[in-house]
Amino acid sequence: MPELGRAALIVCLGAAVYAVAAGGYASWTGRRRLQESAQNAILAAFLGAAVASVVLLTALLRKDFSFTYVWQHTSRELPTAYTFSSFWGGQEGSLLLWLLILTGFSSVAVLLGRRSAPTLLPWTVPILGGVTVFFAFMLVVISTPFATQVAPGDGQGLNPSLQNPYMLAHPPMLYLGFVGLTIPFAFAMGALAARRSDELWIVVTRRWTLVAWTFLGFGQLLGAHWAYVEVGWGGYFAWDPVENAALMPWLAATAFLHSVMIQEKRGMLKIWNVLLVVGAFALALFGTFLTRSGILSSIHSFTESSIGPWFLGFIGLVVAGSTALIVSRRPLLRARTRLESPVSREATFLYNNLLLVAFCLTILWGVAYPILTEALRGEPVTVGPPYYNFFLKAFGLPLLLLMGIGPLIAWRRASLRGLGRVFAWPLAIAVATGLVLVVLGAGSSIPGLVGYTFCAFVLASIGLEFARGTRARRAISGDSWLSAFAQLVGRNRRRYGGYVVHAAIVLLAIGVIGSSAYDTTKEQRLRAGDSMAIGDYTLTYRGATTERAANATELRALVDVERDGEALGTMQPGKNSYPAEQQVSNEAAIRSDRLNGEDLFLIAEQIGPRSVFLKVLVKPLVNLIWIAGFVFLAGSLIALWPDAREQRRLALRYGGREAEAVARA
Amino acid sequence: MLAIFLVYTAIAGGTPQVKPSQLKGHTGEVTVVGKVTGAVRGDARGAGLRFRLRDVKGSATGVLVAYKGSVPEMFRTGRDVSLRGRLRGATFVGIPGTLVTKCPSKYTPAKKS
Repeated sequence: MPELGRAALIVCLGAAVYAVAAGGYASWTGRRRLQESAQNAILAAFLGAAVASVVLLTALLRKDFSFTYVWQHTSRELPTAYTFSSFWGGQEGSLLLWLLILTGFSSVAVLLGRRSAPTLLPWTVPILGGVTVFFAFMLVVISTPFATQVAPGDGQGLNPSLQNPYMLAHPPMLYLGFVGLTIPFAFAMGALAARRSDELWIVVTRRWTLVAWTFLGFGQLLGAHWAYVEVGWGGYFAWDPVENAALMPWLAATAFLHSVMIQEKRGMLKIWNVLLVVGAFALALFGTFLTRSGILSSIHSFTESSIGPWFLGFIGLVVAGSTALIVSRRPLLRARTRLESPVSREATFLYNNLLLVAFCLTILWGVAYPILTEALRGEPVTVGPPYYNFFLKAFGLPLLLLMGIGPLIAWRRASLRGLGRVFAWPLAIAVATGLVLVVLGAGSSIPGLVGYTFCAFVLASIGLEFARGTRARRAISGDSWLSAFAQLVGRNRRRYGGYVVHAAIVLLAIGVIGSSAYDTTKEQRLRAGDSMAIGDYTLTYRGATTERAANATELRALVDVERDGEALGTMQPGKNSYPAEQQVSNEAAIRSDRLNGEDLFLIAEQIGPRSVFLKVLVKPLVNLIWIAGFVFLAGSLIALWPDAREQRRLALRYGGREAEAVARA
Repeated sequence: MLAIFLVYTAIAGGTPQVKPSQLKGHTGEVTVVGKVTGAVRGDARGAGLRFRLRDVKGSATGVLVAYKGSVPEMFRTGRDVSLRGRLRGATFVGIPGTLVTKCPSKYTPAKKS
């Protein structure tokens, strides 16, 4: 069995090397048969990776401890679901998952590309092959999942903190996002290598970028929710290097998703777009490197391993190679048109991009700062949350505002009178909201107040867009409001899906601002029978209980909760101790209010029958963050849904055989 | 743009990260990373916790630490921890809430050596 796995990986590596060599040579010389053969090699590489994955998965599920990897990451009692997730619980398995998704995505891209972009494919294949070579090489030579040993009686087990449902979905989602960014990168480079200057590569990879971006975004929210519920320190994001590692490619991809629209519509920003797609891909690799190299300490830091230098080398190669290609093709990347006015739709897209990229670079700077200072001064200097929070406000608030301005402002050049007409309502609503909030006492945080005013502005302008569009459609068709609304969204899925995503970002902002700018924290020791007050809540300590579960002892503090004299029940924060793993886990108690989205969050320490030390957090509106995740998903799905009308438009534009193919794809 | 980052990080700045043996001479706020040695005394929620930290690698003599505030579940003798604070006399006084234990690794169990 392990031999089969090893052989399959070698086949994968061989096929990928062939795709690079034969594919590159065939494109250079224009040999069509050889090009097709290289495309088939990508499919063969996928088969190799799939066989290797099946071998590893089978060994895991059979608990075959003669595989060192299985022994390191599972044990006899480990439930089947977590045995499954231990596939990506360690470095070798994670790399194999990367390879599997990469070759799978590449194969689908090749099969679809044969019809939709036959002229781009020849140079795209060797680039996909090149990325595959790197990962297959790592798995064959540096970090093999198929090392064997004399089977011991039982495995070492999976870390308890990984034994929860979030870890089934969160890591693979991030991988789907990271790896998905490879496809637009490869097509962009393939188009440049083939000396194509049009937007075909953007059109054929739009959905790839959206899918990758959606997985990355949703995966991060899942991680945040895991941190909030399971880790239980009262927060959901801590600017940890590994959290930043996933945020950076998402920000770059967000910028890219917006700026490609400018290139499609107006033929501008061509160099910028290829730079962004290279940046997003390089950051995805950098993210994998950060989590795997152990160069920075974080809650995610894995064993220090030997793969770090290889990753850095590969990232360097990707950046240098792409930059060289872009520089050599500069004449192709000249803009068709120029920016006509700083007050126009194009310009707001440009500002949005500058802010997103600036924010991304600030995070990169913060992440790299300890590495740089250690290299320069011999002593690492770390920057903490205040640094990131400062720039989140500095760049995030203007971004929020732009989200309200962009969709309403005219293309090319907006007149002042037009602006006044368009923005009168959203402005009025924003100002009114601001005033109401000041009366309600939201002035305690100026950034919070500004943020909420902007949120109201954006929601109003999105609502206005939907209302105007529906009214216009109703005027044409004479249908009911509902049917006109459905038609409006159905005929412009990309645009209105985008607005739904914007609404999700506003919900996210409302949740983040509420829970960070208007939260309350209190720490106090309570004797049994004593009460403490926080906000509208009164908490009374009733004593402690201990229960024995299958693998843990559960110690709980019983805390009665009242709000404005009304009893809300008993909350039970506590600790679980796991004797087998010699670990203690913190079990925070959270009470979510469905009506106002507020959480009461309890952490208990030094729990005893006579007294307890309580840390209490009141987090207003935090639940909107999780709701935002589902709205985000819904918006992405609307934007992703196949749209026959759009395909026909594109078909007219790109003409000929390819256009028909685009229309069919 | 880069200039703004540089200026910002220089002023509002980061905290240097040092080993216990390097603490001498640092008067400002630093993050110290070390291994907990010897007994841990006191109450983090009362008068304060007292313990010694020495370098994770090497055998240099450690520093005495005083700390109040929340303590991670994994905190005990032998763990690697990081803590922000400043040196006052011979004692390193921690800032409440900044004591963090470093898991040897999160995704792979510690190898028994």
